[in-house]
Amino acid sequence: MGPYNSSVSAGSSSGSSSSCSGKPADPIDGLLAGAGYRVRSSELRQVAQRLARLENVMVNAPTEVSHLANDAVHYNPSDLASWVDSLLSELHQPEIAPDPSTFSDLNYIAHTQAGPVLVNPMVSHRELSAGTEIEEDSGIRLVHVLMTCAESVHRGELSLAASLIEELQGLLTSVDGERGIGKVAGYFIDALSRRVFAPPSPPSLAVSAFENTVLYHHFYEACPYLKFAHFTANQAILEAFDGHDCVHVIDFNLMHGLQWPALIQALALRPGGPPLLRLTGIGPPSPDGHDSLREIGLRLAELARSVNVRFAFRGVAASRLDDVKPWMLQVNPKEVIAVNSIMQLHKLLGSDPSRGSPIDPVLEWIRNLNPKIVMVVEQEANHNQPEFLDRFTEALHYYSTMFDSLEAYSAPLEKSLAEIHIQREICNVVCCEGLARVERHEPLDKWRDRLGGAGFTSLHLGSNAFKQASMLLTLFSAEGYCVEENEGCLTLGWHSRPLIAASAWQAMPVLQHPLPLINHRQNVI
Amino acid sequence: MAGSNEVNANEAKKVVPLNTWILISNFKLSYNMLRRPDGTFNRDLAEFLERKVPANTIPVDGVYSFDVVDRATNLLNRIYRQAVDNEAQWGIEELEKPLSTTEIVPVIIFFHGGSFTHSSANSAIYDTFCRRLAGICKAVVVSVNYRRSPEHRYPCAYDDGCAALKFVHSRSWLRSGKDSKVHVYLAGDSSGGNIAHHVAVRAAESGVEVLGNILLHPMFGGQERRESENRLDGKYFVTVQDRDWYWRAYLPEGEDRDHPACNIFGPRSLSLVGLNFPKTLAVVAGLDLSQDWQLAYVQGLENAGHEVKLLFLKQATIGFYFLPNNEHFHSLMEEIKSFVHSDC
Repeated sequence: MGPYNSSVSAGSSSGSSSSCSGKPADPIDGLLAGAGYRVRSSELRQVAQRLARLENVMVNAPTEVSHLANDAVHYNPSDLASWVDSLLSELHQPEIAPDPSTFSDLNYIAHTQAGPVLVNPMVSHRELSAGTEIEEDSGIRLVHVLMTCAESVHRGELSLAASLIEELQGLLTSVDGERGIGKVAGYFIDALSRRVFAPPSPPSLAVSAFENTVLYHHFYEACPYLKFAHFTANQAILEAFDGHDCVHVIDFNLMHGLQWPALIQALALRPGGPPLLRLTGIGPPSPDGHDSLREIGLRLAELARSVNVRFAFRGVAASRLDDVKPWMLQVNPKEVIAVNSIMQLHKLLGSDPSRGSPIDPVLEWIRNLNPKIVMVVEQEANHNQPEFLDRFTEALHYYSTMFDSLEAYSAPLEKSLAEIHIQREICNVVCCEGLARVERHEPLDKWRDRLGGAGFTSLHLGSNAFKQASMLLTLFSAEGYCVEENEGCLTLGWHSRPLIAASAWQAMPVLQHPLPLINHRQNVI
Repeated sequence: MAGSNEVNANEAKKVVPLNTWILISNFKLSYNMLRRPDGTFNRDLAEFLERKVPANTIPVDGVYSFDVVDRATNLLNRIYRQAVDNEAQWGIEELEKPLSTTEIVPVIIFFHGGSFTHSSANSAIYDTFCRRLAGICKAVVVSVNYRRSPEHRYPCAYDDGCAALKFVHSRSWLRSGKDSKVHVYLAGDSSGGNIAHHVAVRAAESGVEVLGNILLHPMFGGQERRESENRLDGKYFVTVQDRDWYWRAYLPEGEDRDHPACNIFGPRSLSLVGLNFPKTLAVVAGLDLSQDWQLAYVQGLENAGHEVKLLFLKQATIGFYFLPNNEHFHSLMEEIKSFVHSDC
């Protein structure tokens, strides 16, 4: 067998969401990367040997195979080397020294990856709703004019944009505004017109914090995104708290505290008994002297008491996360801390990557708390791009997919309220600029880089969390939701488009040099 | 026996590049874990382990992709197209104009493999393969996310294949050529090849046009044990035992492998004589234990008077086309390219 040459370009990763492992001097095999596996070229032989070893063990012990499938927890299958090693250690196989003679002489061309892999933006496409042919044509025209309008806004041609908006409103009448492209387009046309016709100050969809939580609650009910976030976070937090008696959860956005009853109950039931649980809930200050944070805290305390969990609550009122100072959290050195951030961190991002953003000092004080776990759940979208047109296009696809997933929800009033919740996000992405634009969603890979650079290391969510999240989804009638594993993180999406990503992090010990990517493999070669 | 297993592993290592060996061995081992002796399948763990990628409207290697859900069936199809040069148009898919009004652009409906049980249209290996196929053959590829066994047995995959064919034929934006129609080919590897055959039969029976079939080591079988099955059992990643498991998972309960879905020219099959069946390109890997069934299929098509070309790749194993690091991959692509452009 001679060496094989390939005329296909090396390392085309076709959308693989991995970033380059380590320095360019230790590249990963580009072809395996295209298949979703990250293996260093220098380690191909060792990985092959370990695979062969695993196979031998499996062949000789078939009952062990069922243990591997049913009981063992699997992590991050992209990292083939550690996956194989973890299975070998599940089967209690000691490390063997690499034996060069095991491999016959093979020539191959290793297609290596030089430099980072481009993270291609995930833009899935919705086909226009299959209505009548006339409706299809109107729908096509609608999208066409919508994009043209966005382009004119992008170029600052506001009078052109204004006339296009009028045309769009006319076109809307010839499509079904209750579903499909008609509905989504309606919201985007509304957002564009607020931007074009409103005065320079940010268009205010300002509603009270109360209305905010009502809309949030309906969004929570109508689709599984928030439930997935809470569920997955609670799982990971529960595991992080295992074996500890004094635990403290810091919730970056308490709302109605919907996430916490399940955790309290799970802690009540844990073997060995519940810990002392402290919950610090951060939320906006309530108007008119009313202390809503405290009210929610009281309700949670009552629940905790009813299941015999020692519980203490503290509310921290702050309009923005960067107004929170660590001393307000009153952290106790003996307690184990979990930081819970469900769709909050993106609000601290700025749009100019060269200037520091408000998130940097916040990440720093989080790290200094030395939390056992930081749960981060974020919208899986690229809505913080500097160019308006890119943001608009991305948002159109993202929210179309989200509205699509909502279509199956049956209760019409609740669905409308959930949609208004989403509409406000859309408006913020489309209409607002500067400080007013808080919905600065960034995709998982950017969060990985950011958190890695800020001194956090990834805690992988495993097959047990995946399985439970999948089970949660079966409770929803709409088929089309899917959970995916993405290099230790879990995403929930609709029909192959991930919409929300959950990841877990831990502060690296302060003394260590922060590295961009941490390799957790235990074995030494 | 441990000894013979090691011998087998070494056999396979000699004929494929190292990274290919790792890829396919990884599948082999994880699939072993997922199949349960009682015939059930650990779908949760399978989905967890499966490497998936999103569609990409930003072109990679000149090809971009997007997902479309067929509202009639809730089936996902991933479409791969050649990118336009104008960067400003990336990210927007109008689904309005035909592919071309002058030239013929073949549309290949692709059914991914996985023995009816594994993989999806958005599996990384298949996404990458379809992207390469679209780019090299200058075709549009539609990858179908058909329902899998054991949750969905025969004939679900064929129903989904037919639905996809209907979907593709009815898209105005997939039309091309001066005759303004969709120029459809069916293709698939392993179980996907089996699906392509059966969809082509149904299409021929109901007068739906299919210009050609491309079957990449298609999954066929029968009750009888063939010589290649005995000779190659366990030697190149595949065992007869695992093949049996997948047939039991796909075929109706209680059926055997002479069921017409599996044994195409066997005792229970219907004749294809006189049917307006498309021309076929059949690719057989010389180290695939199922090859005797595939060669019998080719012979059967010839006997029934249908046009078939056999591409026999003597030293190829299953899955040789996942990575473009071998000559078989390039031979395959050349053959497919000329197969879908031969009418232009």
